[in-house]
Amino acid sequence: MSSAQIEIQVIASLVAVACAIPGTFLVLRKMAMISDAISHSILPGLVIGFFITQDLNSPMLILLAAVTGVLTVVLVEQIQKTGLVKEDTAIGLVFPALFSIGVIMIAKNANDVHLDVDAVLLGELAFAPFDRLIVSGVDIGPKSLWIIGVILLITIALLFAFFKELKLSTFDAGLATSLGFSPVVIHYGLMTVSSITTVGAFDAVGAILVVALMIAPAASAYLLTTDLKKMLLLSIVFGVFSAISGYWVAHWLDASIAGSITTMLGLLFLIVYLFAPSKGLIAVMYREKQQKIEVSLLTFLLHLKNHTEENERHVNHLREHINWQKIRAKTVVDLALKNNMITIDNHIVSLTEKGDEFTSQAIDYIITNQDTQIEDMKDDFFLFRG
Amino acid sequence: MQKIAVQVDDLTVAYNYKPVLWDIDLEIPEGVLMAIVGPNGAGKSTLIKSILGILKPIAGSISIYGKPYEKQRSLVAYVPQKGSVDWDFPTTALDVVMMGTYGSLGWVKRPGQKEKKAALEALEQVGMLPFKNRQISQLSGGQQQRIFLARALVQDASIYFMDEPFQGVDATTEIAIINILKALRKANKTVVVVHHDLQTVPEYFDWVTFLNVKKIATGPVKDIFNDDNLTKTYGINYKVSIQK
Repeated sequence: MSSAQIEIQVIASLVAVACAIPGTFLVLRKMAMISDAISHSILPGLVIGFFITQDLNSPMLILLAAVTGVLTVVLVEQIQKTGLVKEDTAIGLVFPALFSIGVIMIAKNANDVHLDVDAVLLGELAFAPFDRLIVSGVDIGPKSLWIIGVILLITIALLFAFFKELKLSTFDAGLATSLGFSPVVIHYGLMTVSSITTVGAFDAVGAILVVALMIAPAASAYLLTTDLKKMLLLSIVFGVFSAISGYWVAHWLDASIAGSITTMLGLLFLIVYLFAPSKGLIAVMYREKQQKIEVSLLTFLLHLKNHTEENERHVNHLREHINWQKIRAKTVVDLALKNNMITIDNHIVSLTEKGDEFTSQAIDYIITNQDTQIEDMKDDFFLFRG
Repeated sequence: MQKIAVQVDDLTVAYNYKPVLWDIDLEIPEGVLMAIVGPNGAGKSTLIKSILGILKPIAGSISIYGKPYEKQRSLVAYVPQKGSVDWDFPTTALDVVMMGTYGSLGWVKRPGQKEKKAALEALEQVGMLPFKNRQISQLSGGQQQRIFLARALVQDASIYFMDEPFQGVDATTEIAIINILKALRKANKTVVVVHHDLQTVPEYFDWVTFLNVKKIATGPVKDIFNDDNLTKTYGINYKVSIQK
């Protein structure tokens, strides 16, 4: 690997980490679309900043663009507050307006500079190593590396300092207010960090990938864990994995790095979405199927419990009587046998003591909705896991 | 004379210029277990939220033991409506209860062993200790409500505000909760509960406030919980048989 290749991967990874942290909270706050709005509407801020500073990497330009990002959020909220349109509509109104102003400004004034719409949308990660930071004649690495590095350090410092406040105001803004932690301050703090991160990552990966890096890792992590800290860690791991694997996919395919990283993020989410152990699509389908069988089992057991007469408990009669297809009837009878809930003697089905007890307990639970007695049944049956 | 825990003067709150609470004057004496009753949209939750500074009133003032709420936060605990939070949030029962300690910690400082111990005790008190590590979406409605109660208990406050703590809970949980509330009153704490089930008011509470945008009446249950006030509040001819 050449040093440029390593530098690109390091930049992509740092961007991924810097995006995953605010992204996790955006996903939990159901504000994913806000990151899309911010990433597009910072463009006029970038362009104006560029006119003033003539330097794409100036901290002043980053701050100006971040201000535009926060302004976007304020505008969206103000429009929404009128009650005339809903939040998604407000987002859809604000960011294209600001973005298009930026596009016109580039087209009118910045034709001769290194700032074009393609680069804005998709970034130019491959060129990042060419723009070096030279301090008193010494080359200390690519500028984008330093920019995103500093942003990431600030983000991590803020995360450590305000983790508790972020968690509380995300989970329960009402309690946060009553305890004296202003959710408004936290909200705008998060919006500022998201905006600054977006600007910092913008030059390297572009407006579209920034959104993907904020949302996809967090959304994948959300399906895999029930612990906020683990969710943050997983988001970071997923982000870095996609950044590095995406780089190599781009290398092999000779394609856009930003595009490849985004594709990897999409694939990663798809895999998690399908195969996540408890929230994944397959797990959910399996659980629903099991629950359906268990409801049938309970119906069957209840029928046995209600009828002592032999003709009601004959195997053949059961199939007709409960009106089940052959396969379903067999599945249910097998499940009951496996759990020692019934015995079949000369084609007559009888409840065992265990089956009898189970039926009473389950019916009792369904009627009274009591919690405690069901806890030990949760391990064996999906039906009671909610 | 009994001390006044909460004093509300001339409180008016509006959503989009439509008043939901109109000129409320209310004194809540220390050590009462009080129900706020009234029809849907009467402003019961709004009253609590305004006292706690979550909603900004357009007029009026509130004091907790004679001082503004901002100076008395540590004396007040709040149990919001269960439906006001996202129970799919990635966190555990213990962690939610720990949130009750954040107020005394202030900004930046993190909870430590002392806070954890307090949270475990509160979980024990509401009978939820065996579920401390369970993800909150895996708890039943009654269990979630107990967790919220434990989170308020851990604050060790003087005044407790609860927004419909009995909503969607099973009978056992309801009894467990009311027993804890009665124990709080015994310890001379003040408990204010937004309540829906009129039948249980005389059994559970000793103080009641009738509310329907305006305050209808407030006072001891035995004196003012009668058909007259119920009819004034609910606008229909109400008859409840007060249980002895």
